[in-house]
Amino acid sequence: MNAFANELNGARGIDAALHDDFEGGSGGMPTLQLPNTADPTGFLREYTDEQNDPSCRIKINHGTTTLAFKYKGGVIVAVDSRATAGSYVASGTVKKVIEINPYLLGTMAGGAADCQYWETYLGIQCRLHELRNRERISVAAASKYLSNITYSYKGKGLSMGTMICGWDKGGPAIWYVDSDGSRTSGNVFSVGSGSTFAYGVLDQGYSYELSDDEALELGRRSIYAAGHRDAYSGNTINLYIVKETGWTHKGTIDISELHYGDWKPKNENEFRAPSEPYGYDIRHGTE
Amino acid sequence: MSIMEYNGGSVVAMRGKKCVAIAGDLRLGNRNMSLAANFEKVFPITQKLYVGLPGLATDVLTLRDTFRFRTNMYKLKEGREIEPNTFAHLVSSTLYERRWSPYFVEPVVAGLDPNNSEPFIAATDLIGCLNFAKDFVVSGTASDKMFGMAESLWEPDLEAEDLFETVSQTLLNGVDRDALSGWGAVVHLITPEKIITRSLKSRMD
Amino acid sequence: MSDSYSFSLTTFSPSGQLKQVDHALAAVAQGTTSLGVKASNGVVIATEKKQPSPLVDDSMLEKVALICPTIGCVYSGMGPDFRQLVTAARKSAQAYWKMFNEYPPTRVMVGEIASIMQGATQKGGMRPYGCSLLVAGYDKTRGSSLYQVDPSGSYWAWKASAMGKNMVNAKTFLEKRYNEDISLEDAIHTSLLTLKEGFEGQMTEKTVDIGIIHIPSEWDTKNPPEALAGDKAGHLPGMPAFRKLSEEEIKDHLTL
Repeated sequence: MNAFANELNGARGIDAALHDDFEGGSGGMPTLQLPNTADPTGFLREYTDEQNDPSCRIKINHGTTTLAFKYKGGVIVAVDSRATAGSYVASGTVKKVIEINPYLLGTMAGGAADCQYWETYLGIQCRLHELRNRERISVAAASKYLSNITYSYKGKGLSMGTMICGWDKGGPAIWYVDSDGSRTSGNVFSVGSGSTFAYGVLDQGYSYELSDDEALELGRRSIYAAGHRDAYSGNTINLYIVKETGWTHKGTIDISELHYGDWKPKNENEFRAPSEPYGYDIRHGTE
Repeated sequence: MSIMEYNGGSVVAMRGKKCVAIAGDLRLGNRNMSLAANFEKVFPITQKLYVGLPGLATDVLTLRDTFRFRTNMYKLKEGREIEPNTFAHLVSSTLYERRWSPYFVEPVVAGLDPNNSEPFIAATDLIGCLNFAKDFVVSGTASDKMFGMAESLWEPDLEAEDLFETVSQTLLNGVDRDALSGWGAVVHLITPEKIITRSLKSRMD
Repeated sequence: MSDSYSFSLTTFSPSGQLKQVDHALAAVAQGTTSLGVKASNGVVIATEKKQPSPLVDDSMLEKVALICPTIGCVYSGMGPDFRQLVTAARKSAQAYWKMFNEYPPTRVMVGEIASIMQGATQKGGMRPYGCSLLVAGYDKTRGSSLYQVDPSGSYWAWKASAMGKNMVNAKTFLEKRYNEDISLEDAIHTSLLTLKEGFEGQMTEKTVDIGIIHIPSEWDTKNPPEALAGDKAGHLPGMPAFRKLSEEEIKDHLTL
């Protein structure tokens, strides 16, 4: 079917030899169309590259802060929710954590569509793995699957910086995967334009021996710092914890409310309120 | 990235009934990194005249000093305070002097005529093209966003306190949709009797 | 050689005088009489327009000059020096207009002219200007005003004043006739009467030059019409303006 369509409009499918054909029944990689020119990526760059042409027609979401870290109790994942197009705040309610399955989370930085599409696709492959092997896929294997994809598209203009986080037989795990094809595991990661600000707080407060509450607080406080300092990050924080039983969403937290000390959890699942306002008193004083 | 967006910042001014309001945000940034939340961009020229200078921060400070110098000299030479319309032309002339190496600032002028308290607002581009408006003017990195707010909120002959509310909401909601503006705001309300200056609490992200 | 320095450049004499400036003043005192009178609704400046020869085409002679739409002036002393000053003053007025989109207040214009004249008493290689000026102007802050500027660069505001050959008599005459409530019409009349004292030859519409500023009774200085429309020329429509009287108008005044 796809081959027929491709023949009709003259588009070339990506070489899917590495993967199974999506509609071939064996649950492989979908065939994606490329522009029918000698230099398809150059053609795409003409319309998407903000660096060369700020007025280009397709703008990709670059501003973001995401973080994840391992500690003795599990994994903390925290992200902001701002989407920008140039200096325009296009949305303040973006979900930058993609819930791949009950044990796997993927974070989103770079191209929103790229992350969303391929991490959803990863979810399908993880489920198929589960059905084939009667056991859950390891975080390492899942992330390897994703990095194989991003590597196969290397140079074709994908933009992703993602952390695949979860809990498997080996305990808590975080793998960083990006569109260059690199894949690394580690204890502490932060990705996005606000990552430097988040690292500042994160590194200073991090210890593997943190309690759950301390870890959640550190994740939240780090994204707040990035939302505060980084123009392209902000609005709300999505906070997750991953434990042996899978991940739990611990709230969508307004950064402004944290700053002024107005935030309160909306139900018992959400993380507790901070003991004091993060910013207002410190910066403006109460005297 | 344009040099006009290097530091970020926005200003809005509106005409009311025998009053004007001018407001600016407080952010000073370095591209994406916010540095200070106390960088005022709106400055008094006379008792009833303010100028807002959103744009490249170094030029904001230089132009503030240039206008202070020129209006002080004007006052000494002429023995009177400069009037809003005259000052708007001084701003325009000063900017056009740098036609081929401009200050990266797009000023907003707001004041009351000292003789009959007629409200006056104007804005110029970075080389001094004057725009006299009867309703409102916006400038800075959030100008497009504030245009939308102002178009829907502003109405003719607003009383002072209503004008304050209108200009405040326009600025606050405008800068919340702009990554490069915000981090606090200041509003100046100019009436024939007095100037009211208020700091606004805003989102800090 | 005791006073030879006073011929080279403007230098203080041991007694503290600038001889060149005194000599310039003497040139003014030899010049034709000119005068100015402020009225309740305007100002008038006038002078004797002496023809050097009956063969001269008198339509060329101009002794009252317009600087900008709101300011004009007249002189006693050396005509060529006066014309240099008028040229400089006109440029200054246009520079001001370019900067502020309005014409300079009279006091500012007078300050500019006085500054130019003072400069000539101090700069190397220059001599003082050989003329005194009467400047009449209107501005929204001070209304109409009348100033005299001397070669030294000093200036004063007057209600009425005279300069030149017949200055002493003319001033005495004005002092007797002047009161602040006179109308512009009366002020023109008074000016002509004053000029007539010691006039050389026949006083006709061709031998006097008159400039006036008339403030219409309906003009409200503090609330000028359309003053806030912004992009208006510096001179608003209907605003008081400086203008020279035509020969017909002068003739009418002479026959009164």
